[in-house]
Amino acid sequence: MNRALLMRLGAFLAMVVVIGAIFGVLSSQFLSQNNIAAIFRHMSAEGIAGLGLTFVIVVRRFDLSFPGIAAFGAMTTGQLIALGYPLFPSIAGGIAVGIVCGVINGLAISVLKLPDIVTTIAMGSIAYGLSFIYSNGATISDNFMESGILDINDQTIAYLDEPIFFMLVLYLLAWLVLHRSRFGRGFYATGENPRAAMFSGVHVRLYVIAAFILTSATAVWAGILHCAEAGQADPSAGDGFLTPAFASVYLGAALFGYASVPATFAGTLLISMMLNGFTLLSVPYYYSDAIISVVLISAIAVFDPRFAAALQRIVKTRSLAGAPK
Amino acid sequence: MSDTILQPAAPLGVGRGLRQFLVRYSLAGIFIIVVLAFSILRPDFTRAENINEILISASISGIMFLGLTWVLAAGEIDISFMEVAALSDMIVAGLVNAGWGWPLAACAGLAAGVAVGLLNGFLVGYMRLPALITTLATGSFARSIAAVIGLGSSVEVADTGIAGRFLNLHFGFLPAVAVLTVLLYAAAWFVQEKLVFGHYLYAMEQNRNAVVEAGIPARRLTVLVYLMSAICAAIAGILLTASLASGQPRIGVSFFIDGLTAVLLGGMVIKLGQPNVLGTLLAVLLLAVLVSGTALIGWSDWERDILKGALLLIGVIIVVKGRAAPATAQMGGAH
Repeated sequence: MNRALLMRLGAFLAMVVVIGAIFGVLSSQFLSQNNIAAIFRHMSAEGIAGLGLTFVIVVRRFDLSFPGIAAFGAMTTGQLIALGYPLFPSIAGGIAVGIVCGVINGLAISVLKLPDIVTTIAMGSIAYGLSFIYSNGATISDNFMESGILDINDQTIAYLDEPIFFMLVLYLLAWLVLHRSRFGRGFYATGENPRAAMFSGVHVRLYVIAAFILTSATAVWAGILHCAEAGQADPSAGDGFLTPAFASVYLGAALFGYASVPATFAGTLLISMMLNGFTLLSVPYYYSDAIISVVLISAIAVFDPRFAAALQRIVKTRSLAGAPK
Repeated sequence: MSDTILQPAAPLGVGRGLRQFLVRYSLAGIFIIVVLAFSILRPDFTRAENINEILISASISGIMFLGLTWVLAAGEIDISFMEVAALSDMIVAGLVNAGWGWPLAACAGLAAGVAVGLLNGFLVGYMRLPALITTLATGSFARSIAAVIGLGSSVEVADTGIAGRFLNLHFGFLPAVAVLTVLLYAAAWFVQEKLVFGHYLYAMEQNRNAVVEAGIPARRLTVLVYLMSAICAAIAGILLTASLASGQPRIGVSFFIDGLTAVLLGGMVIKLGQPNVLGTLLAVLLLAVLVSGTALIGWSDWERDILKGALLLIGVIIVVKGRAAPATAQMGGAH
């Protein structure tokens, strides 16, 4: 392990300790076993959307559609359960909807060469609209008790809450794919220089499509876990995913130098700790957006290598402008 | 700001060809067809009250998206504009209820817009931070503050004051706010087409480095377009307070997709594939007519969400393909 990585790891652990200490002092419950479990539960549900987004950021694209797609996928799962389908086909159906949306995003952006931001905004609006199609927007909770979807939230595997278990599995898989496989290197190559990647035999379009599929699929999974926790599916399943997911990826990338699976894990942990801490202190929910956006801006600004250069430039321009002619 | 950008400019070359002509005027054609279709389907569509309502809502949206047009024309993105409108809406509502007069409260709403606009411009123009992430964060921040003002809920305003009287003012059948919007757009059109400023905007979109090399103050221009976008949004927010007789912290959501759809669909008009103010104005009118007409024939909000998303996709496809066409034609000519 090289020195730079140790420093970055140290900075991350220091942030965990500082945030833990601040909230630990302000609230006696923060460091309790139950609350630490609650932090990981938050990471494993809402926080999991950041894991898929990592792939899109690695290929240097943006995706703003995943909250809408999460709602559509989660409502699809809810509807399938209400229609009496067993749990696994229902979840698979929801995730399949997410995959289809991801494929459309990916094709539109990599093959039709449409701009990513606007295309995904449009896709998000369409997917969000479609989440109303089953019930006209009403919550769906028929068969939820019998189907076993609530058990995903309540049961444990290997001494771990199921959502946390699945989160660890997903992170492990994502880590293996992105960092320990030949296939995964292609994502970074696509992001760094698509032309060079193409001439090196990397199927650039495929990687862009794969990244959008992964984002949509994990977002739907996050939406389904949200429904499992709430005991019902409703079109607000993806609300509030957007800013925290971007903040997790960028905070992680800022800490570790570039976007990666471990970096997103670190970013999500910090974001979840903060959101949980403020909830414990009964800070109203509407402050959380402000806190996360300040974290996001600070992350991209302070850790940006150009930050120092930009500051220097500003100082230089000022002194030049002020200099007597 | 340097004086050179306010000098008159030579007209930009305009492409010719039947295909371009068709694309360029297709939106106007669609607009006329849609208006005729709704007038036939629902006779109450053409009632004076309904037209008045369409004009007022189109005016408020139009003012909100005017600045956004230039942000997109300069090749940047702003997804904080609708939250700036929500923030300004809540600030005005909160302060009017706290006993401030309408003019003072409106100034405070405007000041919030100036603050967010300068922040966006500084972060994107000077720090060169990614525009999407920056405005995502500043937008979330503005939304959060808007919610804090009402402690999470909306704020009723009993007296809509001078802004309310302005919204009710009519010149003949035309609402005064529509006249104001048209004047603002005419002024913006003049600045965009006849002054060097407009050329710089489109030049920045083409090649920012070249613009910097040519000695154009690109950073200050970036700050200016973000500032304009936020100020326009804040003015729209003030009008929203009066129009809704309340402050709505979550009002931003409904303008997000509309704003981008209007600007990009508007990019089809006149300047092929380039956002421009006349195009935005026409697209805003089209959206307002669609919203009103589909409501009359009984569509719900989610059906309109799908329609707007589809329109945005169509707009973006036409813009991208429309711009690609002349380039391929040139390449074909070279061979």
